[in-house]
Amino acid sequence: MTSKNGFDPGYEREAKLPRRDWVLLPVLCLATICLLAGSVEFGARRMFKKLDAAGQDCLTLDYASAWVRGIPNCKVWEKIPEGELTEYRFNSSGYRNNFDFGPKSPDTYRIVMIGTSMAAGFRVPEQQTFGALLPAELSRRTGRKVELYNEALPWRVSSSLQRYFNETIATNPDLILWILMPSDIENPSWVHRDGVNPLSQRAGVWHRIRAALATGSFRSSIAAIFIQSRTATLLRILLYASPSQYVKSALHEGDYKTEFLKSEPSPEWQKDLSGFKSNAANIEGQASKAGIPLVAVLLPDRKQAAMISLMGDWPRGFDPYKLDNDLRAIISNHGGTYIDILPDFRAIPNPQLDYFAIDGHLNPKGHAMINRLLSEKLTNGAVAGLTASGQKRIGSETGQ
Amino acid sequence: MDNASFQFVGFGLAVALISNFSRSPVWRSAVLLVASLIFIGLVERNPLALLPMAGFLLLGYGCLLLIERGWSRSLAWVLVAVIFVYIWLKKYTFLPEGSFLHYSYFVLGLSYIFFRVLHLLIEAADRTERRHIGIGAYLTYTINFTTLVSGPIQRYDKFAQDQFAVEPIPLGPRVMGSQLERIIRGFFKVNVLAMLFNMVRVDAFAQLSQPLPVSFKLYAAFRLAVVFPLFLYCNFSGYIDIVIALARLMRIRLPENFDRPFAAPSFIDFWNRWHITLSTWLKTYVYNPLLVVLMRRISSPALQPLLGTLALFVAFFLIGLWHGRTSEFIFFGILQGGGVALNKLWQMGLAGTLGTKRYRGLAKNPLYIAFSRGLTFSWFAFTLFWFWSDWGQIDSDYHSIGRLNWSAVWLAVWLSSTVVLALWEWLRAVLLSIRTSEGPILVSRYALVVYASALGLISLVVTVLLNQPAPGIVYKAF
Repeated sequence: MTSKNGFDPGYEREAKLPRRDWVLLPVLCLATICLLAGSVEFGARRMFKKLDAAGQDCLTLDYASAWVRGIPNCKVWEKIPEGELTEYRFNSSGYRNNFDFGPKSPDTYRIVMIGTSMAAGFRVPEQQTFGALLPAELSRRTGRKVELYNEALPWRVSSSLQRYFNETIATNPDLILWILMPSDIENPSWVHRDGVNPLSQRAGVWHRIRAALATGSFRSSIAAIFIQSRTATLLRILLYASPSQYVKSALHEGDYKTEFLKSEPSPEWQKDLSGFKSNAANIEGQASKAGIPLVAVLLPDRKQAAMISLMGDWPRGFDPYKLDNDLRAIISNHGGTYIDILPDFRAIPNPQLDYFAIDGHLNPKGHAMINRLLSEKLTNGAVAGLTASGQKRIGSETGQ
Repeated sequence: MDNASFQFVGFGLAVALISNFSRSPVWRSAVLLVASLIFIGLVERNPLALLPMAGFLLLGYGCLLLIERGWSRSLAWVLVAVIFVYIWLKKYTFLPEGSFLHYSYFVLGLSYIFFRVLHLLIEAADRTERRHIGIGAYLTYTINFTTLVSGPIQRYDKFAQDQFAVEPIPLGPRVMGSQLERIIRGFFKVNVLAMLFNMVRVDAFAQLSQPLPVSFKLYAAFRLAVVFPLFLYCNFSGYIDIVIALARLMRIRLPENFDRPFAAPSFIDFWNRWHITLSTWLKTYVYNPLLVVLMRRISSPALQPLLGTLALFVAFFLIGLWHGRTSEFIFFGILQGGGVALNKLWQMGLAGTLGTKRYRGLAKNPLYIAFSRGLTFSWFAFTLFWFWSDWGQIDSDYHSIGRLNWSAVWLAVWLSSTVVLALWEWLRAVLLSIRTSEGPILVSRYALVVYASALGLISLVVTVLLNQPAPGIVYKAF
């Protein structure tokens, strides 16, 4: 049973390690790690520059009374790591439009768009947002002059929209276009669920490290500190370019932000959804009373778009279309029109690349895509003033 | 624990450390046995679920005792019994559904235990001198946690030679350093490279189903075809790197399971380099005995090369069949056996047509080697479609771009793999030619420290960033 290994050709006395190697090898190891980590972070910082200022600087937000407004005529430049240098210019009404609102001319079809940061075109130059692109595209498709007032602002979710709805109606629109995001339901009280004022979230490195250390386990603390680095930004942009990887990472986190993707959401989410339902009823009621048609559309968030492109290959217990179906029922039940663009994401290759990988907002390519989808859906008969006769006109102009 | 996670590596390193507290074979074997039992306990918490596996191990040991006590003439029946119980426990679909145990039980590593048990039985029957293997040694060998999940399949005599040696094989700083480097390399392969390749595969598969223009789909089909062999290699060989290194730190030398398979210039050579311990097992216990039987029965010298080809087909068909219980794996086996058999016939035909000398000259031609290497890779990639998908998925993939486009995709796979693999071999040769008096710089301990540090850092960063469970090891399912 037992044997000596002396006969084995592989049994050789190991040559002694030279004394200098006991120092040299650990130094080499440390030097490699420092050099690699340092050079990647340095390169990533060059590649993903960031300005301290942000679009939120043009907002005033009253935490106590759930009130958010844009500062009239405010101008600020923003640069997030993954985006380009972006100018924010607010008009005299405190909205992100490059013109002031005025009386409507009789031959103009006026749309007022309401919603949150995605609709306000945050992180993207104003002229590249779908809010800015849509009037020209709709005018081209319908043959009539279409203008769009963008009254969307970050954190103007359904509960706070009601407070400003009189302003929306006062602009005398022909159509109210309500751009919904999953976060509108997640976050009905327009402040983050942790109760932190969103405008105060920019903090110093030391503050962020302390906050990270307070997150719980050692591993999650390390991850939370590392995530602050620009190397993490670079890696996340590279890894999250893959829809499957991104979906896996996003769903694995399992926080409240994935609740809307579940086939059977939690009671907490159901409660938020019923809160949204009553807010939507109120908003639609006001629109109906004023005789203005309201059209709502859900823009998928990045993980939802990525899931749709996976064509059913997502983890069991999830359904990216669940919220779409719920919203269709809610909006239609109260007399509004619901436009469904989610199924169109199936025919878009890598739709998650149309969003900023980390920030999550639509990038310029994404805004162009939403412009195309919205203009198609708004002119295909869903909205009376933008359809049949307009389509005929285009047909006659192009000789079709 | 049953994958290449931090926990598994940490567990293995802790066991290696404890195992080295004493050089005594009794201590080291006790540590290995207890560690293996703890490992199984950590993977499967329900003791009832372990009963079928325990029963199989006891059956194997009982059969071994019978043969050791002179019942070697009943070997055939013993083998049939063990094979039948294995097939029954693995729920092969040709057995009636009602005959199976209808509760969830532990089968992780059962295939590898099966190979080890058959090896012990056959060798025990073949031995002229009597040898007794105690229950402790038997269990330490069959459920060794380093080889339980995905092999490699080690011969008992080699295992015993290291594990039960009075003077164990040496373990100095050089060996420890190189094993740590290998663990990091393996961890990187599984957790970073395989993860990336799998990501490409899943995305490509989804794109084939999306209503996209055909140009997108062609590119997706190309990625799907190319990337799975690379994923499988990194996933499997990375895990094997880790377990070989952990075992070596416990002073056990496990056999190598891979030898740069994509450098193989023929499909026959490929199987000498891929899952080596499995193909060696089948060559030893299926190919050789089958060939001997066939040659005894059919004595015509003209037919002997064809008999060898037939034996090859059977051995490699069984490799395919071993992987799974469904008709996809039967077809996978036919493609493996068919590939090896066709390769053999091609070699014989070419040698017959050109003459042995000219054929040998051609086989050394770099261009011929490069195209053969590309073809070998492409054929393996093609066969793997029956490995990772089912008939429904294959049908959907096929119809997504049609026959003509798939032909173009496979031609592109062949040509591109020919070029890329040739460039890779050339680059490797150039880098290895840079030498000092101690050998190539690329494999010096200084270079190993540099790239182990880099790979370790990358693995750590990616693992922390993604914060996901470690990817599963594909071969643990078999």
